[in-house]
Amino acid sequence: MQALNRTIAPDTFPIGNAKLLPVKEGVLDNKIPVYTVKGGDQEVLKIDFIFDAGLWFQSNNLVASLANSMLNEGTDKTTAAQIAEWFDFRGAYIQLSVDQNWAYVSVLTLNKHAEEIIAITEEIIKHSVFPQQQLDAILLKRKNRFIVENQKAKTICQKQFTQALFGQQHPYALTTTLEDFEKVNRDTLYQFYQNYYHADNCKIVVAGNPSDNVFALLNQHFGGNDWSKPLQASPATPIVAPTNEKSQYIVHDDAIQTAIRMGNHIVNQTHPDYPELQVVNTILGGYFGSRLMANIREEKGYTYGIYSLMLSLTEGAYFYITTEVDKQYYNATINEIHNELKRLRTEPVSAEELAVVKNYMLGELLRDMDGPFAQSAMIKNLLEFEMDNSFIQQQISAIHNCTPERIMELANTYFNENDLITMAVGAPQ
Amino acid sequence: MIQFKEHILPNGLKVIIHEDRSTPLAALNIAYNVGSKHEQPHRTGFAHLFEHLMFGGSRNIPNFDEPLQLVGGDNNAYTTIDLTNYYLTIPANNLETSFWLESDRMLELDFSQKSLDIQKNVVIEEFKQRYLNHPYGDVWSLMRSTAYKVHPYQWPTIGKDPKHIEEATLEEVKQFFYSHYAPNNAVLVAAGNIQEEQILEWSNKWFGSIPNRTLTPHNIPVEPKQTEQRQLVVERDVPFDAIYMAWHMCDRLHPDYYATDLISDVLSNGQSSRMFRKLVIEQQLFNELDAYISGDHDAGLFAVAGKLNEGVSIEKAQEAIQLEIQAICNEMVDEYELQKVKNKVESTLIYTEMNFLNKAMNLANYSILGNIDLINQQSSSYQNVTPKDLHRVANTIFRDKNCSVIHYLKKC
Repeated sequence: MQALNRTIAPDTFPIGNAKLLPVKEGVLDNKIPVYTVKGGDQEVLKIDFIFDAGLWFQSNNLVASLANSMLNEGTDKTTAAQIAEWFDFRGAYIQLSVDQNWAYVSVLTLNKHAEEIIAITEEIIKHSVFPQQQLDAILLKRKNRFIVENQKAKTICQKQFTQALFGQQHPYALTTTLEDFEKVNRDTLYQFYQNYYHADNCKIVVAGNPSDNVFALLNQHFGGNDWSKPLQASPATPIVAPTNEKSQYIVHDDAIQTAIRMGNHIVNQTHPDYPELQVVNTILGGYFGSRLMANIREEKGYTYGIYSLMLSLTEGAYFYITTEVDKQYYNATINEIHNELKRLRTEPVSAEELAVVKNYMLGELLRDMDGPFAQSAMIKNLLEFEMDNSFIQQQISAIHNCTPERIMELANTYFNENDLITMAVGAPQ
Repeated sequence: MIQFKEHILPNGLKVIIHEDRSTPLAALNIAYNVGSKHEQPHRTGFAHLFEHLMFGGSRNIPNFDEPLQLVGGDNNAYTTIDLTNYYLTIPANNLETSFWLESDRMLELDFSQKSLDIQKNVVIEEFKQRYLNHPYGDVWSLMRSTAYKVHPYQWPTIGKDPKHIEEATLEEVKQFFYSHYAPNNAVLVAAGNIQEEQILEWSNKWFGSIPNRTLTPHNIPVEPKQTEQRQLVVERDVPFDAIYMAWHMCDRLHPDYYATDLISDVLSNGQSSRMFRKLVIEQQLFNELDAYISGDHDAGLFAVAGKLNEGVSIEKAQEAIQLEIQAICNEMVDEYELQKVKNKVESTLIYTEMNFLNKAMNLANYSILGNIDLINQQSSSYQNVTPKDLHRVANTIFRDKNCSVIHYLKKC
């Protein structure tokens, strides 16, 4: 037997593309679309009820998210305690959440309890009553959590950064203050619920291993004409008003580390540049081997982690670099970030580095699409942007075909270090 | 039910194989039987620092991450008080690359002063980011040193003091490697879209020639029985007062573990749980309140942690928690409530089995614990718990003399 040569890597093989699970599209009697992603071995089912009721639609802070939270807090027949008992006894979960566009009522259950879980979810979505006492308890909890969060340099930095990027009036700017908790009241929330949680504003995504009767159950509970309402007029598209001050250092006396966030507007995923821009971002700070990580963590040891992320929203998009460093490394870190951004737009990426990034990204696509829940998340994202599966193919082609020249071109357009908004929160310098 | 095969190589490496054909990916998970409980009191945080060094290059391969990323893989690692776990996922057709990489760093690290210096710095920044720069970030470190006086669970994985990390020398690092990193102190789990014969072949090829090593014997002292209640009061720059209570409980292999876990579920798992309903929603004493078990391998802690609402005194808060604790000691939990928490355990176990990497990590953990078959027995162990068990275990644990309390007060 030949001795093992450990300096030589084993043979490697091209990375295949993820298999898309079949998606069945159906429509309830009242026209609510239902998308079903079937896969996996476990007898488990996840249903997302999605409403156009995200932050975009609220006229005051906290309204969209609190209206969403109140769905769990009592109906005309069932108290909050009974609802909680109903889910817990069946080992099922209800998750309520909102993002910029959408509000979600998501339930996760074993198949054997699907019928009862769908029935209680109908009650929650159609007949919530928003009891004042429950609202008081939730408000207090939220407010206290807000106070704790706002002590963190990182949280302050994130909020200030979005305000600098979009201007304070824009719904994508995070502007919640302590006063907002005093302003919010039950009637406003209930009205928001009445306006936005109804059949004509709803879509449903089912994932996992649903039994054959799930569609019929959904139709029985959600397919009637009993919860139709006229659609609200869309809010006017707000104006993006970035701050004139490109760079700011906010003093936060208790901070041991300085939180840094820098970035700028980019295009969202409907733009043809987006898939290749993902390659640029990955090189910069999108994975553990990225240039920012390699330089600022692995070479200099200034931080525990530094990343660059892209956020694609329907009415805008931005990228941002985020890290926390000891204040003695603050200036050096900013300089190194600038150096890396400059290098990205002035020096071609080597073939070796590009190969690593491309293959890593192909592997990530496989991971991001692994299993019915992951694929349902992907489908929700495509629905939000009114895109279809061909976007995945676009991403794969972009990864395969992106050239060093194209990377420099995109970096020049979108990631220029001279245009960035820089926000830092930390101890006095 | 998780099907798996277990083999042991002649050098002592355990190889566990779990096939899951629903994914195009595979996972390789290697757990070493070394955690912060195996550290010396003057060198705490060492197991975790070492985890960082494992990415700094090995004898024949200068960089761990890059060749892995080149074939579509992604990896990470974590250190607990009981073990250190390295895991990666990769398109299944390139899995052999990960055997090549993981075996070389088990064989020997490329010990360099530069890598050590940089990772010391990274770990100290991690210390600040996760523990110091965070409201309430130091509380579990305080609780550990209050509840444990002898057992090394008295310090957290990150270490007692950043100084211990700063002072670590290259010689100590080498010594740590050779006394803990060895095939006979590790478990390899391969999971996902794989074949048993292929995994065995690669295990033998890449790991089979690594010599077994003489391990430092683990003489972990047993924590003596606590004989009086311990109390610590600290003031910090935080927005709300908080209370933390912890009682010593059994170890992970003890049959009472399951009843103990279910007690914590009755008290605080889910929005219908007792403490959430009564103390958070009805009485509005707490903003957050949790009861949970630490889940450590050796005898661990049953903990209750609560952040108080404005205007609630710390005495009132403690009394309210104690009333719930007394109730579970004095009155039998009824069949309905017990069935509820059992149902939740059942569904949670099934949700966990949806992911091949989760399964790989769990298999590794149970193997290090010393009884891999537990992974498939735990469901029935939970189902077999009776109201009498809960009553007996609650009365064993919840004695005042077995309790440590921290009043974590905001600075006036």
